[in-house]
Amino acid sequence: MNVFRPARCLLSGSSISKFRPRVRCRNFHISPNLYERQGDPNFSIVKASKEGVGENELDTDLGSENFKKYTPEELEALQRKYTPGQLKAIEAGEAAIDLEDLEKHGVIRTDLGRLSYFDDLSQLRPVVDRPQHYEGPHDPSWRVLTHEERTELWNKAYREAVLEDPLPEPKTPEEAEAQEARKHGGDPIAEMKADARTPYYMGSNGPIPREHSHDLRAPGLPRNFMSDDKPKVPVKKAVHEEEADPRDPEGVYDRLIKQTGLTLDQIMDYKVKILVQHRVVNQTRLGKIASIYMLAVAGNGNGRLGIGEAKGQETEETSNNAKIAAIRAMQPIPRYEERTIFGEVEGKVSAAEVKLMCRPPGFGLRCQHLIFEMARAAGIHDLAARVPRSRNKMNTVKAAYQALLKQRIPEEIARGRGKKLVDVRKVYYAGRV
Amino acid sequence: MSLVHLSHVCSHLSNASKARLGLTSVPSTNMILTLSLALQQAGFLSSVTRGGLTPPPLDDLSSYVPEPVTQENISTRRLWLGMKYWNNEPVLSKMSMVSKPTKRVWMDVEGLGKLIRGRDAGFVAGLRKPGECLFVSTDRGIMESRECVERKVGGMLLCRAV
Repeated sequence: MNVFRPARCLLSGSSISKFRPRVRCRNFHISPNLYERQGDPNFSIVKASKEGVGENELDTDLGSENFKKYTPEELEALQRKYTPGQLKAIEAGEAAIDLEDLEKHGVIRTDLGRLSYFDDLSQLRPVVDRPQHYEGPHDPSWRVLTHEERTELWNKAYREAVLEDPLPEPKTPEEAEAQEARKHGGDPIAEMKADARTPYYMGSNGPIPREHSHDLRAPGLPRNFMSDDKPKVPVKKAVHEEEADPRDPEGVYDRLIKQTGLTLDQIMDYKVKILVQHRVVNQTRLGKIASIYMLAVAGNGNGRLGIGEAKGQETEETSNNAKIAAIRAMQPIPRYEERTIFGEVEGKVSAAEVKLMCRPPGFGLRCQHLIFEMARAAGIHDLAARVPRSRNKMNTVKAAYQALLKQRIPEEIARGRGKKLVDVRKVYYAGRV
Repeated sequence: MSLVHLSHVCSHLSNASKARLGLTSVPSTNMILTLSLALQQAGFLSSVTRGGLTPPPLDDLSSYVPEPVTQENISTRRLWLGMKYWNNEPVLSKMSMVSKPTKRVWMDVEGLGKLIRGRDAGFVAGLRKPGECLFVSTDRGIMESRECVERKVGGMLLCRAV
């Protein structure tokens, strides 16, 4: 995230639900925030709620609106998918989130750097976040545990681990026997926990706890205690299944999938279109050799766009090659509020000049068909364009692509000039634009 | 007070940033000096130093005292401007004149207000590119158009910089 962008910029975008947590924005200046300056006699602050306009949506009952309780049908569906233990964990996790706290302090990020899970990041968790090192004093007279000491400590840790998750009351004598045997060994999870907790060293006042020992070895990989060893699916079978995909029976995208790691679903979701198609001729000493030229655009409808060209004898093959080249060449396009471009940009390829202009929300794509298709593929919704000189199709598309990539981001300009920049559109409307 | 020198300065600064120069020199006149200071104020230039035909020492620009101007050396005085670059891009990428030596353009506050909102005023195109600046010569010195509107002064439009 760019440091010049206030956190509330992250709230822009159409995909966000009506519920937006109130956000705090760190100032880049030392004067206090507006809401902290309530007593300033120079400015009378008019509150929307006092005026009776725009009743605060955030004060509505959050629990009922956005975090609804599970309906019986949903619970049933969950029970089919999860074990009772997992369900309990899910419920406990959801109960642990304080809705009021979430409303006051939560910021829902939509940028690319966001985490894939919800977390208020108030606590460091050793495995997920980063290892926490012990910073206290070290015992100078430490020594490595002897084999007997280590065995004894391991047994103690194992017993504690077994006591941590007790099994339900035994119903049959066989079960009771099994539970008694479990206390002396054989529970894999408790064994792993004991392995992870047994100290390595003995200090002057007994064994040094594992988290206080200074371990010079590389940290171990986090292990998944709950995974069960499933037989791996043979690789050949998977390849065979891919070949049989009805959406791509010819295997046109196979090479692309192998080289880029995209899935066929992703490729099918892209908006790909042939924009320019004409016949070109190469004059050789043997005569004229005609081929077909095609230019395709590909976009994911969410800020990525590419153009690809291909020439060939066969229409089908050429079109596929152009499409694949376009998918390969996809690049991120800067978008303001994920709907329009930043200011006015110009692109020029040969005699074709293209001028793209940003427009307010709801303006639509009022531009010629080639640029319209490109904007639609890239996920731009408000745009105006002029093509004042040559209107050669191929060069127009190339010039428009060049212009889209050439945009200068206001935050970057401000950093280059050493200025402070605040998008007042986002400040005035509290990120609800 | 011709604008010919100023036109040359505009082209020179555009060319210098295309050539990725770190330091460049322009003729030393009062108008060019005040414009350079306005450009520095707006963040386009890193330094503005008076000097002669050779560049000032770069290692102590802050404590450097230029040679006093005399009748003998006045013809060789130059302004040395430090160019800025950010993210492999020049900060001042394009500078072009609005008033021309043969056609001056004056604008009042209303017109300037239109310009900085991105609307056209008269024959002058609005400031619609991100970060575009327009420098105006007023009776209170050369200022950026937004500052002119803030102070409610109009003047002669000199040049625009992106």
